[in-house]
Amino acid sequence: MIDEIALVEELQNIQTKEKAFRILIKEYKERLYWHIRKIVISHDDADDVLQNTFIKIFKGIDNFKQDSKLYSWMYRIATNESITFINKRARERNIDITEMKQELVSNLQSDRWFSGNDIELILQEAVATLPEKQQLVFNMKYFDHMKYQEISDILETSVGGLKASYFHAVKKIELYIKKKTH
Amino acid sequence: MRENAKHTQDGKLSEDIKTGFTVPENYFKGIEDNFLLNLSEKKLPKNNVFEIPKTYFEEFDDHIIEKIKPKKGKLINFKKIKLIPVAATVALIIFFGANFSFNNNSELSSDEIVNWVDVNINTISSDDIAFAFTDLNFDDMNPYFTIESEDIIESLINSDDIDFIIEHANINEIN
Repeated sequence: MIDEIALVEELQNIQTKEKAFRILIKEYKERLYWHIRKIVISHDDADDVLQNTFIKIFKGIDNFKQDSKLYSWMYRIATNESITFINKRARERNIDITEMKQELVSNLQSDRWFSGNDIELILQEAVATLPEKQQLVFNMKYFDHMKYQEISDILETSVGGLKASYFHAVKKIELYIKKKTH
Repeated sequence: MRENAKHTQDGKLSEDIKTGFTVPENYFKGIEDNFLLNLSEKKLPKNNVFEIPKTYFEEFDDHIIEKIKPKKGKLINFKKIKLIPVAATVALIIFFGANFSFNNNSELSSDEIVNWVDVNINTISSDDIAFAFTDLNFDDMNPYFTIESEDIIESLINSDDIDFIIEHANINEIN
């Protein structure tokens, strides 16, 4: 287990910054990648957003006050970068963000980096129809097995609120799949 | 209701018959929802359907480190660039301050100003600059900041100080 406090101190010291940043990337790149990938869907976009995320982390680490956990802070940056990315894409195409998300999912059928079957594709479509917070909570809870408290630290929402969001998300997805498969 | 409800063997709450077992507050309220949630979750697929290129994560570290490193060959002495207009302005403030305080009727030609700046620019200390610009945060002037050549061109085109910079700046661009 990584000692976050010691790592942050090294990251904020100019002499040890690069070495510590390598450790940080090694430790968190996969978790952050999969978190981003589930939001932006395509590998190329996830790669761009992950790079931007780490660049922002590198530039912002000196101002990180350790009020929250390092991983929560990084997840927040990754989440914001992902949402900003989709918003920007939607603006460029002059479409609504929900439409944009559905378009991203509809591209999955021809995506070489997607290996899902029909039902798994429908699940992704269903997730894309959810409001933003429900979508984030569903991905973090269902796929990433994160605890409500961890999600609460990242999204800065109460545990009770998250439980309700997750419950609604699962129910909506179940209904969506039912409609699509019957 | 008490915080930790005591439970009886026939499933009913009682103050009289105590088993000693307790449950968290609101446990029974949420159990039905949790059960239904579990049922719904079990109907959903859970595989990771997203794939990545084989060596993606191995190559990522070096790629990102390369991106955050200051670029050699395009590194400009940022402090110098930033300080040219600042120093020039400070020089002018000091110049005007010194001259007008003694002779309010004098008219200054641009040549006089340029000559004074030429002579005195090397004597202006960082303290003079800090004193003249108390609202500037010099900590923001990150020495590791790199400027792309396109940014410099754009900045120069939009700069009011372009003539001054062309005539007086000694920018050493490292190629």
